[in-house]
Amino acid sequence: MKRIAKGLDQVLVWFLLVQMTALTAVVIFAVLARLTGNSVAWYDEVAAIQLAWITYYGGAYAALHRRHIGFDSVLLAIPMPIRTYAVYFAEAVVVGFFLLLAYTGYQVLVVLEGVYLVSLNWVPIQFTQSVIPIGAVLFVICEICSIPDYLDKIERGISLEHAEIEEEVETELQKAQEART
Amino acid sequence: MIVFVMFVMLIALICLNVPIAVGLAVSALFGLVVVEGLDSVVTVALDMYDGSTKFSLIAIPMFVLAGAIMNAGGITDKLINFVNAIIGFVRGGLAMVNIGVSLFFAEISGSAVADVAALGSVLIPQMKKRGYSAPLAAAVTSSSASLAIIIPPSIPMILYATSAGTSVEQLFVAGVVPGLLGAFGLMGMAYFFARRYNLPKEEAFQFKRLWVTMIEALPAFALPVIILGGIFGGYVTATEAAGLAVVAAIGVSAFYAKMDFGHLKRAMIDGGVQTAVVMLLVAASVVMGGFLTRAQIPQDFARWILDITNNQWVILAILNVFFLVIGFFLHSAAAIILVVPIVIPLIQAAGIDPIHFGLVVTLNLALGQQTPPVASVLITSCAVARANIWDVSKVNIYFVAVLFAVLMLCTYVPSVPMYLVEVLYRS
Repeated sequence: MKRIAKGLDQVLVWFLLVQMTALTAVVIFAVLARLTGNSVAWYDEVAAIQLAWITYYGGAYAALHRRHIGFDSVLLAIPMPIRTYAVYFAEAVVVGFFLLLAYTGYQVLVVLEGVYLVSLNWVPIQFTQSVIPIGAVLFVICEICSIPDYLDKIERGISLEHAEIEEEVETELQKAQEART
Repeated sequence: MIVFVMFVMLIALICLNVPIAVGLAVSALFGLVVVEGLDSVVTVALDMYDGSTKFSLIAIPMFVLAGAIMNAGGITDKLINFVNAIIGFVRGGLAMVNIGVSLFFAEISGSAVADVAALGSVLIPQMKKRGYSAPLAAAVTSSSASLAIIIPPSIPMILYATSAGTSVEQLFVAGVVPGLLGAFGLMGMAYFFARRYNLPKEEAFQFKRLWVTMIEALPAFALPVIILGGIFGGYVTATEAAGLAVVAAIGVSAFYAKMDFGHLKRAMIDGGVQTAVVMLLVAASVVMGGFLTRAQIPQDFARWILDITNNQWVILAILNVFFLVIGFFLHSAAAIILVVPIVIPLIQAAGIDPIHFGLVVTLNLALGQQTPPVASVLITSCAVARANIWDVSKVNIYFVAVLFAVLMLCTYVPSVPMYLVEVLYRS
């Protein structure tokens, strides 16, 4: 499980880096093109697709590191071992939803066969919307891979938000210390 | 009845720490299946895709990235030195510096936590060394970072504008005067504490020092010049300004020679993840929004409130209380995405300007960042200051009172946030 998580982490990091770089490049190019009177027709459509890709592939990465916005105060107040069962139930809901999303996303892809983008009419929409089933499956894998660590923290009563803040603070304090010395 | 069950289901899932985006989508899915049957399930995939392709939200990853690059690029020290040269000579000067730099710094990246950690880790240890108590240092850092939520560029404002279908540029403009008023108010409160505890002045004011530090900090001002000048001057849209801000951030960091590929890589990953987390919420809100619209819930809610009162000041008071309470329990992005689409028909029916209301919502959520249990900014400040959250809250209540006063002023004197909007866009 740890090896899968590590591999996914690497792949998703590089995918995110490429997508963020590409989106930045597209936006900057489009701004400069408009300001110089040469607006590009494909900008809106391509940038919106890139945003969707960042959403779902980045969402899977965030699931791997449990960075999605949540609220764990009530969960942590539940006595053990009911808390553990609550975690299993919550995880089943998340995994179940993304499996359903993957299935329905695939159904949509089948319907979209032969349809192309408006501005770039050689790019099939199947390709751009493939992010839904693929992203959903990746989300499920990332969620499952991160369950052991998450469960361990929750069982020990550690808030994920607080743990993340502690980590961020430690990093910044270390940087500030290095800058002073 | 079905809406009530969906609401209970959403609350239950949130309490079990299911990501709010998933809780939102699952409860909406439940409503869809009950009302429209199993065939409606396929619309979830379509809605979740459409929701993640909202063009106006492309500004979010760009601003997040620009902020993260600036954070990693070594501008903190230059800004601190510059603001110190301007206002450090006042009693409690370091607290003033903290507030001044926060306004510029925090919320650029959309992550007040990252910004408070970055700024607080430099300033809080210095403040403690100069005799400030840890709770006071944490309270000043925390409250000023939250105020920055209404200073452009602000991710919650972009989300509000998209949810309410209003102009993000006008919302940015509306935030300027209240932001400055809030900053002066916080500085006044910091001065009160400085007199009370006889806190030190920093170095005496010198034009030479001001000039030197200003020259050093000058490249860092490229970002506000591009954002404020570009948008307010009507040269670029918010999305375009965000793209140019990334270029400026890279340029500034390269100028200070502080940016290496490690920093840039981390900034990009952070930017991508923060964007994904917010956008997944937006995508899920489209599923919920579709159901609520078909079920006419926002319209029913508007009618229900308007049957009780059609006085817009009373309606604003009710919504203020509502958003304050929501802010206690929800992250600002989640609160906006969940609630704004439901209350917008009421706002329109009551004749309240949605830009004015947007600022009121954002200020409410800024206050929410200061109040446990969900108070990430306050918790981060406490962690940096190594101070107990309740000790900090006892001091912070005075600074929160200042923010509350600004909220009341903006709510009941609409010309405070709206004057610049009227001048720039409506005259």
